[in-house]
Amino acid sequence: MVKFENVTKLYENGTLALSGVNLKINKGDFAFFIGPSGSGKSTLIKLILREEETTEGDVIVNGFNVSTMRRKDIPHLRRSIGVVFQDFRLLPGKTVYENVAFAMQIVEAMPKEIRRRVPMILGLVGLSKKASAYPNQLSGGEQQRVALARALVNNPALLVADEPTGNLDPETSWGIIKLLNDINQMGTTIIVATHEKSIVDAMKKRVIALSKGEIIRDQEKGLYENEDKNHEIHN
Amino acid sequence: MKIRTTKYIIKDGIINAYRNKLMSLASIIIVTASLLVFGIFLLISVNIKYKIDDVMQKQLQIEVYCDSKLDETQVDSLEVQIQKNQYVSDVRKVTKEEALERCKKLLEENGKILEGYDQSFLPESFIIKIKDPEHIKSVVEDFKKLQGVDDVGFLEDNVVELSSISYWTRIISILILIILLSVSIFIISNTIKLTVFARRREINIMKYIGATDLFIRLPFIVEGIIIGFIGAVISFVITYYFYTTIEGQVSKGIVGENFNFIDINSIVLYVIGSYFIIGTMVGGIGSGISIRKYLHV
Ligand SMILES: Nc1ncnc2c1ncn2[C@@H]1O[C@H](COP(=O)(O)OP(=O)(O)OP(=O)(O)O)[C@@H](O)[C@H]1O
Ligand SMILES: [Mg+2]
Repeated sequence: MVKFENVTKLYENGTLALSGVNLKINKGDFAFFIGPSGSGKSTLIKLILREEETTEGDVIVNGFNVSTMRRKDIPHLRRSIGVVFQDFRLLPGKTVYENVAFAMQIVEAMPKEIRRRVPMILGLVGLSKKASAYPNQLSGGEQQRVALARALVNNPALLVADEPTGNLDPETSWGIIKLLNDINQMGTTIIVATHEKSIVDAMKKRVIALSKGEIIRDQEKGLYENEDKNHEIHN
Repeated sequence: MKIRTTKYIIKDGIINAYRNKLMSLASIIIVTASLLVFGIFLLISVNIKYKIDDVMQKQLQIEVYCDSKLDETQVDSLEVQIQKNQYVSDVRKVTKEEALERCKKLLEENGKILEGYDQSFLPESFIIKIKDPEHIKSVVEDFKKLQGVDDVGFLEDNVVELSSISYWTRIISILILIILLSVSIFIISNTIKLTVFARRREINIMKYIGATDLFIRLPFIVEGIIIGFIGAVISFVITYYFYTTIEGQVSKGIVGENFNFIDINSIVLYVIGSYFIIGTMVGGIGSGISIRKYLHV
């Protein structure tokens, strides 16, 4: 589903954000990208979405070769992925309802389908009462949940979330993580970038640990801290 | 693109124009102001042209003298030929009798000299009104070439001069109009650039979640058209109101001399047309173009 082959990312200002990354995430996986701030988690995600281009190597996502694809195919790639951005990226001029509906409008969903699904998803993330609020009238955690609702509304086969619990209290964080887990149980592939130890430790999912742009550990049922020095690296 | 998407795009454009009230209002004011500057000059120049033509129209007569040997039918066929010319608005035949009368009048008391003369030596002629002063020279040349025409003369001497004044007034006012038009387009499209710039993040986000360029661009174009349209309506109402008011005051003779304006109804289509074309086209195309650079993410 997602494959990185020898990927290097050098930003224009000379920062080497990723080097020699090899990675394969299969359909139905639940994987955490972990690592300290600046280790390259968001860069990995940006490469998946073609928000940034690779300097070297190939990234393959949902059958698209992201590194060589044409500009006009980018929207198709992005629509095949549900994304929760680290900075939310909600449309400031649209209400909560419209923000979520927008994701369905761009795939030209039936209006009837939109009216059915948007309230349902908003209910799922606990925001039914805020449907007509604008993003700047919401708390950080609420905005994050709108972003999640928008990512989920089209039932994507791949969901990518960058720090989806960054702004939430522990209780809401758990709600979100459980929701992601449920969705994963139904077959959606999930990638979560986080540095929240408690969540990673409790979930016991696949952990891909980054440090200074390199993968230092890739472990099934891993913990945040590496307790097993003889971990296996698999691809 | 599906019909439901088209519907969404139009609705979204309208909603956005409404929600970004302040920006929309500012843009509408700027569109209105630049259209008014353009419109005022348009009206002034049309009126100047009208005035010049009006003055000329009264002097814009030429006289075609027939060969005196022509018989009745030849004269008639010449008249038909003259009437066929597209710039001729009116033809009046001067019979031999009339010509004699005129001669007598010209000679005043000496008219007696002509007494006893047969009028047959005098040629018949046509007094012709020309529609457009600028074409008078070419019309004269054309008629000179007609078979059976002895000579063509002007009724007044200064016609040729006036016709070149009319020509240059038109050239100059067209030039100024083009300049004003470019300035309007420049100002309006810059306003639009600003409004789009204020929403560049929104455009980026849409792109990040997989909207196509067209899907993002079209509501902006709709919005630009709406703003341009409203600006055009307001400019038109203002123009119409002030023009008819001023026209009313002036024709009442408050300014002193009696100066006739062109009736607004005869130029209303030009004013409406130019306002709406400039407003909506520049609004729509301007938005469509300005948003381009924010789509590359
Ligand atoms: N657009 C950019 N231009 C230049 N350098 C960048 C850019 N984005 C990120 N970087 C750099 O690349 C490195 C990796 O950044 P990245 O955002 O991937 O880290 P991260 O693991 O997501 O950190 P955090 O946990 O703080 O979100 C950092 O050193 C960062 O400064
Ligand atoms: Mg990050």
